[in-house]
Amino acid sequence: MNLQALFDGLFSGAIYGLVALTLTITYQPTRIMNFAQGETFVLGAAVGFEIIGVRKWPWPVGLAIMLVIAVIMGLIMERMVILPVQLSGSRFAWIIATLAAALIFQSIFSLRYVGDTLSFPPFIDKTFSVGSARISAQQIIAIIVSLLIIAIYDQFLRRTIHGRAMRATAHNPDTAIILGVPTKRLVVGAFVGSAVLGALAGFLWCPENGINPATGLSFTISGFTAAVIGGVGSPRGALFGGLIVGLLNSIAGAIFGGIASGIAVFVALGLILVLKPAGLFGKPIEGH
Amino acid sequence: MKSTNIALRGLGFIAIALVVIFPFWVTSTANPESYLNVMITAGTSAVLTLSLNICMGYGGLLSLAHTGMQMMGGYAIGLAMLNYDINPWIGILIAAAASTIFSILMITISLRATYLYFGMITLAANLIAMESFRTALGNDGMITEIYRPAWGGVDLSTRQFYFLTMGILAIAYLVQRNTILSGFGRATMALRESTDTASALGVSPNVQRVKIFAIAGGLAGVAGAILAMQGSFMSPEIGDMGGGLIFFVGLFLGGVGTLVGPVAGVALIAAIDFEIRFSGAYRTLILGALLLLCMMVLPRGIVGTFRASRLGSPHELKEEPDTSGEEIITVSSGVAGETAIEAIDVVKHFGGIKAVDGVSISIRRGRVHGIIGPNGSGKSTLVSCITRYHQLTSGEVKFFGAQMPKTPHKVARAGVTRVFQIPHLFERVSVRDNVLTGMYLQEKYTWIEAVLRLPRYSKGTRAEEKQAAALLHIVGLGKKSEIAAANLSHGQKRLLEIVRAVSSRPKVLILDEPATGLTQGELESLHNLILFLKNEGLAVVLIEHNVDFLMGLADIVTVLESGKVIAEERPEAVRNDPRVIEAYLGRTDISELMGE
Repeated sequence: MNLQALFDGLFSGAIYGLVALTLTITYQPTRIMNFAQGETFVLGAAVGFEIIGVRKWPWPVGLAIMLVIAVIMGLIMERMVILPVQLSGSRFAWIIATLAAALIFQSIFSLRYVGDTLSFPPFIDKTFSVGSARISAQQIIAIIVSLLIIAIYDQFLRRTIHGRAMRATAHNPDTAIILGVPTKRLVVGAFVGSAVLGALAGFLWCPENGINPATGLSFTISGFTAAVIGGVGSPRGALFGGLIVGLLNSIAGAIFGGIASGIAVFVALGLILVLKPAGLFGKPIEGH
Repeated sequence: MKSTNIALRGLGFIAIALVVIFPFWVTSTANPESYLNVMITAGTSAVLTLSLNICMGYGGLLSLAHTGMQMMGGYAIGLAMLNYDINPWIGILIAAAASTIFSILMITISLRATYLYFGMITLAANLIAMESFRTALGNDGMITEIYRPAWGGVDLSTRQFYFLTMGILAIAYLVQRNTILSGFGRATMALRESTDTASALGVSPNVQRVKIFAIAGGLAGVAGAILAMQGSFMSPEIGDMGGGLIFFVGLFLGGVGTLVGPVAGVALIAAIDFEIRFSGAYRTLILGALLLLCMMVLPRGIVGTFRASRLGSPHELKEEPDTSGEEIITVSSGVAGETAIEAIDVVKHFGGIKAVDGVSISIRRGRVHGIIGPNGSGKSTLVSCITRYHQLTSGEVKFFGAQMPKTPHKVARAGVTRVFQIPHLFERVSVRDNVLTGMYLQEKYTWIEAVLRLPRYSKGTRAEEKQAAALLHIVGLGKKSEIAAANLSHGQKRLLEIVRAVSSRPKVLILDEPATGLTQGELESLHNLILFLKNEGLAVVLIEHNVDFLMGLADIVTVLESGKVIAEERPEAVRNDPRVIEAYLGRTDISELMGE
């Protein structure tokens, strides 16, 4: 067993889990799978790159600015997606709207960072060796933060009144309105929350593996694959799905080379959809 | 023919004429080649958008792999040409075949996936295909020196290639139109609206999905072949989703699920794209913003909005069409009184709930078999068990002595048609097309025959249309045959649904609460229709809460309560059966007090 692949897989798996969680957060009250979610990921990396990488400001400042901009992006994205969907009424509206949003953000990022790979120095520049394998402090921090966030969101859904409102809306938005759940505000909140967490995921990922500003969509897809494998709607599912995708990716890549990693994940996705369409932890979801 | 239709046809001819004279018109400009190339690119996009329309607009299948299918076609023709020296004309066919195989592979893996998951699987497949070419071919997957086909020993000039592209576009449009207007297309649209209803009409959901996706794949592959020959190269970037945005924009701008929409939309987009051709990196940004704007301002697209307007939508006919002399064939021969369905000891439990708990029932030809019972007594569940929408917990169902088939669409094929409790019409298509969809099982022609409009297709279609008109006449819907089913009243919808069920020429017709919400006049129409069918030798199963209506029709009534049969006798006897009265009204002594 390749220890390095295991470490790398755990790290990327935790991040994918976080992205899967953000997709779940917006999916639950809206039934919209947001293709533009990966752009928040790129945003986190981009702000880190500009503030910490280029201007050399300290990490906490970068983090704070990143959070503020992510909130704004969440608000903008909510309007960009929800407004056309409401006005259109087509069953494909959500996909077209989120795809358009994704491409708009993607071209903005590409225009601003022509030819750059987004990267910046880690918070703690330290690396530990375990045998021949190495794991960095950044990776450990990322894993811990992702686990914490997913655990907190899980408890939020189960324990708090807002969490229950969220679950009620996911189940049946019309009934939720009748029961007095402010679904509109909930939707805005979901978009903002997932934008913040998505940006955080990119912010944690970036110092370890720099990212190309045009690759937001591929993070959306990794996150979605994780969410489906784990079961859309379940935070635990997001975490396990993320870990499965991350580990499969890195281990299959280490053993069989680059192309195998993508295929291994695709095969896993196919198997899950055939054997357990609701995912490992999920309840069956219906199409639009 | 309506004046709007004449105007539209005129517009179509003008468009075709413009396309034909375009190359001669631009020869006087400084750089005619570049204009021709813009048009060739637009034509290729239109072919791909037609393919996207077939699977998304009509099939309801969310495909995010269209750029990938196109890339597959491009690589197929390129590699065949460069490695095996295959003639480009044959290469086009190879491209279509390769892309068809790719799409069949994708859809077979994901048949169980629902709508959203399906889209995501196609997207993942797309990315893997791109990655595979990039890794497997070297030079980042780039292949060059793909050449154009020759005619009479000379390679096609740009002008000839232009005509080839437009010819292929015309063929693609005809394939789309003839597919959609045939029984094959109606089955596809039925599936888009509801899997259950399509199954009830005998459409096999999986087979139909694979077929429609394969057709879309073939068209996309041809588009890829033209693209490869025009640019003389192919690279993995062709499969990129970002480049595919233009097809979605075109489709939405023109109108999803309309015949001309994709072509009109792409034409408009090509014009806009030509205007912003120097904007470079801003192109995607502008197109993305345009797409969002279009969704808000023109949600149904240009053609869709026109079709929904007063000018573009079909009107009610002035008078009932004459259908005298048309014999209505409802049912194949058989002996009245012969047992059609025999259900023996059917049990269906949902967890701890015993919805149907050991019911035996025997349904005979030429009889109306009523089923009544309080809410939750298991009537609809029983029907779902018989028609295989539910798996039985135990028991067995026989159909003319043999085992009943195991899946809903096979039950329908055997001759059992079901009308659901909630109306399941195909709202967006016309009243007549709803009835024609019901005739799916009698269609003898194949998809190829429909696309080429061969004699068997034309003859079959004419006969079907006459039948449909005659059937609609019985229930007084003849005038409305052109309008969309969504515009009917509730009662008319129910009648139409029954007509649609009858048009499949079943041996057994199962009606689940057909009388709910009908006016007195409509109830009479329904009564007469059921009586007519019974006399034709059909076995009719009638689940109904309207007891008066049921008693006036039924030859025998089965009463269910809590999943068990509590009585099965003639209607008069049921009325006075104390067990039935108790089931409906609680204790007999109380109901007597109430003067029942």
